[in-house]
Amino acid sequence: MTATGTTKPLHELSIAEAGAALRAGEVTATALAQDALTRIAALDGALNSFITVTAERALADAAAADAAFKAGIDAGPMQGVPYALKDIYDTAGIRTTCHSKLLVDNVPAADSVVAAKLKAGGGVLLGKLSTHEFALGGPSFDLPFPPARNPWNPEHIPGGSSSGSGAAVAAGFCRMAMGSDTGGSIRGPAAYCGTVGLKPTYGLVSRRGVFPLSYTLDHCGPLSWTVEDTAITMEVITGHDPLDPASADVPAPDFRSGLGGDVSGLRIALPRHFFAQAEGVSPEVVAAIDNAAALLAKAGAIVEEVTIPDYELFNAVGRVIMFSEAFAIHEKDYRERPLDFGRLTFTRMILGATTSAADLTQAYRLRRELAVAVNHQLLKQYDAILCASALAPAARFDSMSGAFPPNWPIQTMPFNVTGNPALSMPAGFSASGLPLSVQIVGRPFDEPTVLRIGAQIETALALTGLRPATAALKQAA
Amino acid sequence: MSETSTADLKLELEVLLRRAEVAVPEDRMDAVLSGYGDLKRMCALLRQPRTAAAEPSNTFSLVTLMKGV
Repeated sequence: MTATGTTKPLHELSIAEAGAALRAGEVTATALAQDALTRIAALDGALNSFITVTAERALADAAAADAAFKAGIDAGPMQGVPYALKDIYDTAGIRTTCHSKLLVDNVPAADSVVAAKLKAGGGVLLGKLSTHEFALGGPSFDLPFPPARNPWNPEHIPGGSSSGSGAAVAAGFCRMAMGSDTGGSIRGPAAYCGTVGLKPTYGLVSRRGVFPLSYTLDHCGPLSWTVEDTAITMEVITGHDPLDPASADVPAPDFRSGLGGDVSGLRIALPRHFFAQAEGVSPEVVAAIDNAAALLAKAGAIVEEVTIPDYELFNAVGRVIMFSEAFAIHEKDYRERPLDFGRLTFTRMILGATTSAADLTQAYRLRRELAVAVNHQLLKQYDAILCASALAPAARFDSMSGAFPPNWPIQTMPFNVTGNPALSMPAGFSASGLPLSVQIVGRPFDEPTVLRIGAQIETALALTGLRPATAALKQAA
Repeated sequence: MSETSTADLKLELEVLLRRAEVAVPEDRMDAVLSGYGDLKRMCALLRQPRTAAAEPSNTFSLVTLMKGV
């Protein structure tokens, strides 16, 4: 099915394109929703990206959006546009499981703030998406629902923990899916699935009603197919929330302000040692980042190699804080029903039972030093940092050990530690046909510059027309 | 981190888990022990000489700390 006036199939319309077609009367929200539901029914059996498909709700949301357009009411850029939520976002009256046996029958009474904003903005909720259990333990086969798979090759992982979000966007089930990111859970799936994924500045998007993994590291943000769609989503979900203790009372940035602009004169730091010398890095990833840096330089940006503190310091700070805070959240269940956790969640999160108060305090102290090193020493001189997101293409499921938690080569944790905005986006493909990525990091609350650089890379690489092949998925489903 | 034998590491872990009142099934103990060894290495990295400015109260900027006021 295509929209009037375009040759693109409906599922390939971006939020911006779908919005224009809806407002021009070339397509209806109901047609977009029906197309998405049909596609999910046909293909998701091979991908397991959805835990719950909310077909009735989607069609009701779509009918309401169509009626609103007819009445001349426009609630914003998401009106009539299908989307989905990671299954840790509370949705009133709709099961929110965290992909766990412990919450398999949990039906929240109220929407999370992000869900409420998308609903108020006229969005069309398609359903709730797979995650690693409690946004930590996976990919696992001992949970109530199977793990999501990578649309580029279902034998490979989609990354996590926003695994269903990455898979659903890459498969064209929705243009945008919300994820959460505590150590890379938006950017990892974005990198492995070939989508755009933004971890906004800490405090910019409300976390209220989203099941916490680690209070001081958790961020909510979107995965989408284009940089522009990420900017559009941020317009809808951003805003101060006095009831979220981390929410920053700052003016919302103009997320789309730089998308059409050039990058000439921008100063971009390239900490090449950080990724090129890292354990497990793929030469293809290094080449993709070097290529992105060259494209930015060709477009007039000033790209300079810099050094930043050792990755292991960021990782140690992030892991000690994450395990400690996560165990504090789940302590009661660990004592009363430990075997209801999946094996990987259990064996990872329990490490928080072993950290001392002194360990945690030292982590917070070093966190301050690292935040100063990135923000005061580096980003005073540079507008952004260009570095790696995932250090290698997505691994195969059968390369995962059933006994030990996976340790994927990925460099996303540093910017959960510092709180800076960080975007993972496509940067090419491996010889095996899997997506490669880069990460762009900006100053706090300067998402527009991050998106501006991302838009420049996206335009220069022209990868958005490349989608996963669906023939094999249809057969497998 | 000083060199610790696997047996000593396991004993240390078991004490900490008992203190936390958490029981680990035998078939998950090897994975937890492996993770605990990694975590100990990370905790050792956190301990470095640092200035008085490095303290948790100012991890985030005032803008963030003044949220909702």
